[in-house]
Amino acid sequence: MARTELLIRPLVQLSGITKSFYGVRANQSVDFSLAGGEIHALLGENGAGKSTLMNVLTGLYQPDSGCIAIEGHARRIDSPAAAIEAGIGMVHQHFKLVSAFTVAENIHLGWNETPFRAPAALLEARTAALSRRFGLAVRPSARVGEISAGEQQRVEILRVLARGARILILDEPTAVLTPPEVAILFAALRAFRAQGNAVILISHKLGEVLEIADRVTVMRAGRSIETCAAQGASRASLARLIMGDTSLPPMQESGRAVADDAAVRIELRGVTVRDHRGIALLDNVDLQVRAGEVLGVAGVAGNGQRALSEILTGNLRPDSGTVLLDGQAVAHPTPRRFARHGIGHIPEDRLRTALAADLSLAENAVLREYDRSPVARGPLFVPGRARALAVRIIDDAQLDRRDPSLPARNLSGGNQQRLVAQREARIADRVLVAAYPTRGLDIGAVASLHAAMHRLCARGIGVVLISEEIEELLDHADRIAVLFAGRIAGILPASDAESERLGLLMSGQALVPDAPDRDPGRAA
Amino acid sequence: MRTYTVQRVPSVSGRVRTGATLLSCLASVLAAGLLLALLGLHPAALGLQVLHQSLANRYGLEDLALLAAPLAMCGLSVSLMLRVGLWNIGADGQFFVGAAGAAWIGLYGPSWSTLPMLALMGAASMTAGAAWIAVPALARLILGTSEIITTLLLNFVARLGIDWLVTGPWRDRASSVTAQSPRLPVAIPKLPRDWHLGGMHWGLAVVLALACVLALAFRFTRWGYELRICGANRNAASYAGMAVNRRLLEAMLLAGAVAGLGGMLELAGTVHRLQSGLSNGYGYVGIIVAVLAASSPLGVVVTGVLMALVLNAGTVLQTQGVPSSAAVALVGLILLSAAVGERLANYRLQRIPPAPRPGQAA
Repeated sequence: MARTELLIRPLVQLSGITKSFYGVRANQSVDFSLAGGEIHALLGENGAGKSTLMNVLTGLYQPDSGCIAIEGHARRIDSPAAAIEAGIGMVHQHFKLVSAFTVAENIHLGWNETPFRAPAALLEARTAALSRRFGLAVRPSARVGEISAGEQQRVEILRVLARGARILILDEPTAVLTPPEVAILFAALRAFRAQGNAVILISHKLGEVLEIADRVTVMRAGRSIETCAAQGASRASLARLIMGDTSLPPMQESGRAVADDAAVRIELRGVTVRDHRGIALLDNVDLQVRAGEVLGVAGVAGNGQRALSEILTGNLRPDSGTVLLDGQAVAHPTPRRFARHGIGHIPEDRLRTALAADLSLAENAVLREYDRSPVARGPLFVPGRARALAVRIIDDAQLDRRDPSLPARNLSGGNQQRLVAQREARIADRVLVAAYPTRGLDIGAVASLHAAMHRLCARGIGVVLISEEIEELLDHADRIAVLFAGRIAGILPASDAESERLGLLMSGQALVPDAPDRDPGRAA
Repeated sequence: MRTYTVQRVPSVSGRVRTGATLLSCLASVLAAGLLLALLGLHPAALGLQVLHQSLANRYGLEDLALLAAPLAMCGLSVSLMLRVGLWNIGADGQFFVGAAGAAWIGLYGPSWSTLPMLALMGAASMTAGAAWIAVPALARLILGTSEIITTLLLNFVARLGIDWLVTGPWRDRASSVTAQSPRLPVAIPKLPRDWHLGGMHWGLAVVLALACVLALAFRFTRWGYELRICGANRNAASYAGMAVNRRLLEAMLLAGAVAGLGGMLELAGTVHRLQSGLSNGYGYVGIIVAVLAASSPLGVVVTGVLMALVLNAGTVLQTQGVPSSAAVALVGLILLSAAVGERLANYRLQRIPPAPRPGQAA
């Protein structure tokens, strides 16, 4: 898809951008150019300086030195409003929408073209018109809190485009999307590009980058390392550029047949969980997690993954059915009971569930071990020892910010994930339940997380890997269970699972025939 | 040409935050001085007079301590709940009810010697304060009712209940004053005279000890750590296996008990009779005390003294013809500027490099 013919005069030219925070060079003489009519991927590890560079371009930060030119004219972008005026719009990884408002209200919020008298019907009609014009399907009267992540993202993009953006910056846009939603997004991006506009795409998923981008710029340690055409690049060549000299840990064998007599660590027998409306999130699920295996859980998001991970970690009680830990039925499951039993949990929403963003790294790092030696001494909490343990966890997690008194909110998303993964792996003596553990991580971090997972397996610990990426599951799981509409649609050994077969199971088409009344569309 | 822009930094250190709070207090005092100057008074002279009368003699220090003690108790109560992310607007009511509980023991209870009697009154006041907040606490935990509204509204109930008690069943029939109880038979002993705090009573020691105990508990117990996590992110707390609702309930009941004990100290140490003027809005000022101290128990002692100084200043100003409500206005001003200062602490002024001439960049 790469285009060789680019406009002579770039739409955006960043020259020599340098930006330091408290002595740390986040960007160092970065040059970056964006041509009209291109999709330009910006790659790099967590902390390579991508976000800082984009924050400079969108007026959130002022560079210490360097300049920005838009269509050949030097321009000072000293506020987000100035960036919008310059035609630059950004969609952040975490959406910035008001969930109690409708789609139409969110689109018109803080927009100088919003009519003074703004009845709902008018706003909705305007939104519908925008939706048609930009080819982004949204329901104007729906409340944002009630629509899918994919539709929320379309609202964000529409919000930006409505304000006349010609340069669209997307930060990890596919992290929260299901595969069909990714296809919809990419179609819209291609249409946007065809009108001479440009897209900057920050992503860790090299396959997607190669599929949609025209050019690629790689950043490492605050510098831009290389810009090249996507055509002719390969995953391997990009990975080398991103990682530099550091080499990836060797990939582990997957698809090992785990002996049938391996001890069963967690067993679910006929587990059903209903939400407050009585709809089954998990429907009569039977599942065994055995010692020393990686059990992959495949499925399109929203088919019961969250409930499954919460059942496996004691965060939810089944409405019917039994949960057994090492063969013992648990009458009253609680998170504490499961953690004490050696079950670690990397939840899917780390900021909401796994971290206290306002508290320090030290306080967050010891969240799982504050009640045992050495941090606890009877009812006492020993801050010195908590700090020492935290320093160790922070070191092992290889965070880029090491000061344990720093608030967790100062970490980038990828580093937060590393911290949680490290903390949970430490207490996982029996089972580690990991929901989308690689979301938002760069290639290096993904590889070391997978390596850590396999090390746990080698010690006889069962790992449950919940993922939407079939490739990840095929590469790392020993068995793959497919969730569809709250049921286990099938469990296959990874060695004879194929993407097509998994795809069919995930879409419910190969569902066992005793559930003919299910509407496959409901899950998507 | 130099141009500057304002940038937001995601988080600032505790030292910067404390500095911002001090600067805000200073700014509001200066603003108050400006207003006094506009009224034709001499703010500097008045300020010195306030400091002199409050700090330079034993009666001033005594007044300061007498006022700081109930403020600090209410501040401790509010900060206990702030630890778990909840607002106790009802410290005033719990203070009154605690005093009433203590008065009941004092007037109608056993006639023991002073110390056991005071201990029993303390226990009664803490039970009463905890019971008073139990309803908002349970409503919050079971039904999700906002504790801000319920604790606030119960203040009025408490105050009116005290009015009824002291004009009705507990009225002192021997005195011509219609709205107070008889004098209690026991009182908290005074501090030794050579401590230069004049007639201040041992309640002050109770306040300081309680602040220290809470500070230690917050920092050095698992319970304190759990309160901190519950306050910062309840989802994370329950994910980590903490008994979140139990911790919230404990914090709320304890907050009620602390405010109630504050009422008992005021009653048995200072006022000696139950009356509806027992709390001069201490529970509300306690909110400001806790917020200014960033809910640190030792900080509450400092800000409690600071607020007492401000309220005392009102008395001094009154002698100069300034309405006594000026002090209340100053308290409000301090809270306002502290809130603004806390936000502003997140911003830095930064120089923008001069823009290059057009064409240079392309």
